[in-house]
Amino acid sequence: MWSGNFKTAMSSLRQSKWRSTFTMLGIIIGISSVVTTVSLGEGLKHQIVGQVTSLGTNVITVRPGKLVSHGPGGDSLNFLALLSSSNLTVQDVTSLSKVSSATSVVPIDFVTSSAKGDNGELDNIFVGGTNGQFPTVIHQPVNYGEFFPSGDTDAVAIIGSTVANKLFGLQNAVGRTLYINGQPYIVHGVFQQSNNSFISPAQVDLNSSIFIPFDSAVKLTNGSTNILEIFVKSQDQSTVNQTINQVNSLITKNHGQQDFTALKQEQLLAITSNLINTATGFITAIAAISLLVGGIGIMDIMLVSVSERNREIGIRKAVGATNRQILSQFLTEGLALTIGGGIIGILLSFAINGLLRLYTSWQPIIDVWVVVLAAGVSIAVGIIFSIAPAFKASRKDPINALRGD
Amino acid sequence: MPIIELREVSKIYGFGDATTLALDEISLSVDKGEFVAVMGPSGSGKTTLMNIIGLLDRPTNGDYLLDGRRASRLRSNRQAKLRRDRIGFVFQSYNLLPRLNILENVALPLAYRGMAPVRRLKQASDILELVGMRDREYFMPRQLSGGQAQRAAIARALVNNPSILIADEPTGNLDSTDSRVVMELLNEIHRRGNTILLVTHNPELTRYANRVIYMHDGMIIGDEKTAVGQLARGVRRVYYSRHKITDDDVMAGVSALMKKVPGKEITTKLKRSKTKIKKRKVPSRRGRKAS
Repeated sequence: MWSGNFKTAMSSLRQSKWRSTFTMLGIIIGISSVVTTVSLGEGLKHQIVGQVTSLGTNVITVRPGKLVSHGPGGDSLNFLALLSSSNLTVQDVTSLSKVSSATSVVPIDFVTSSAKGDNGELDNIFVGGTNGQFPTVIHQPVNYGEFFPSGDTDAVAIIGSTVANKLFGLQNAVGRTLYINGQPYIVHGVFQQSNNSFISPAQVDLNSSIFIPFDSAVKLTNGSTNILEIFVKSQDQSTVNQTINQVNSLITKNHGQQDFTALKQEQLLAITSNLINTATGFITAIAAISLLVGGIGIMDIMLVSVSERNREIGIRKAVGATNRQILSQFLTEGLALTIGGGIIGILLSFAINGLLRLYTSWQPIIDVWVVVLAAGVSIAVGIIFSIAPAFKASRKDPINALRGD
Repeated sequence: MPIIELREVSKIYGFGDATTLALDEISLSVDKGEFVAVMGPSGSGKTTLMNIIGLLDRPTNGDYLLDGRRASRLRSNRQAKLRRDRIGFVFQSYNLLPRLNILENVALPLAYRGMAPVRRLKQASDILELVGMRDREYFMPRQLSGGQAQRAAIARALVNNPSILIADEPTGNLDSTDSRVVMELLNEIHRRGNTILLVTHNPELTRYANRVIYMHDGMIIGDEKTAVGQLARGVRRVYYSRHKITDDDVMAGVSALMKKVPGKEITTKLKRSKTKIKKRKVPSRRGRKAS
């Protein structure tokens, strides 16, 4: 009976090819947008996990603003703190370097977002000040030249591979001059192409960034600083908590209040995942609305189909189809539409995934559970939205059904 | 034991001013192997009667016994199964499913019985052989002539080996040659021992029947046995003499309508008076009076 139903469903869907295709389109769009959104979120999380593990577990991140509020319902994120301007100072960096269990203290100071070279100007990059201990925290090999040493105050710069390509083309960039805020800087080294390119949560892309010595950065901006974060590397795993306490008390003493956040890598990871989950969930919810609309489209078309096929229903009942058999016939038809749409939608999202990986820096990941979930959802949508039309078909009076065309 | 037994079956459509009495307390019994032709002008209730016998419709009042079992009050699911196993329908407009080929159309009732595809197609093919349509198995319905389509429809009606074959004006859309082929086929089926109910407007077709029932305004006004091959004697008489509506007939109609009204006493009183009336309404006597 089931295979017969399936055959009947397929033949009646083929009968109205265009209608079936357009009905499926709603489900296709819904499923593929949900899968793509979730996979983008997953990919982002994956990148951050990779980056965090590459930093090492004994690195502490100090960020301006009170990120975590300790409320009665447990710790919660304070999203507004992400938007506030920096209140970390040069003095903080200096005092942190006195922490006994810290082996290195690396500030990331935002200077500007443009630089000029031989081949023109770059606008959408990160130009920042840091110190010579940077390589001990972020293990990104420098391909040509080397990172500037600690305490360097010269006008030198380490540039990302994308920046090197854009500013100097195929020529060796080391030793050449670029201009930041009109000041000449000599390229001291070029980072190797990076895959885990983000330094979160500042979201700095290593490939398109330029780093200059901290002191020259301060000089360049006439003494003002905008420190996005300070990395503090603890001696080893066991001293991390001790270091955090010291960092907290030192900066609190400097500021007079705790208006910053010092986080271990695990905490940072948890907070970022939380943030990404919230964002992904929100966008997925919007995508799910299109799925709902697709489902309503299916119901619409099924209802039309039921009243169009009055006569067929009448004939089938006259030769002995029970209500249940008619119901399952129409249910199968609706399910064939949504499952077909679901499969195409999943395939489409794989294609989108490939295109995103090729042409953007995003690395979306389609997990097995997402595919399973999408398939389950399309089956559920099929059942939910074709049950009413199928029920209507099954309850038709055979005489009226035979009489009307 | 009669295969079909109707006990004072009435059917009322609508309500209020628009109430229509489609069947007016019809009692009828048909034995196995009979070929009954049902005649009457349009609106006389022939199709309604067939729908009730075919379990497509339920009577408002009265009982319908199929093979001695009360069938009219069964749940719709049970009725569907009885339709599938005991009753075959042939319609005026063939009613083949346009998207299935002839073989699949014929096998449809077997599919609803849950028979495996190979077996049911084999059985359908055998039946198509019987109606002489084997070489058209894989044609689509629209590729067949009217006569061929009707033969395929008869094959579908027969595929379950039903107790009753109900043919509602099977030749209504056919020319005389095709009509003849279809009627010869029905005749052949009758000779094999099947029970057939045939609704028709064409007096000529009563030659194939061995019993003719005349209907008018939801009542059976004539019932005669004829020899197969003979034109029914009553046709001309019943068809062309105007049926007079007497006060008794009106009362009978009222009695059927009154069954809808709660209050048993009135109903039974009317019913008693009606049974007396019915006896006076034997068609042969009426016919004699007219002649």
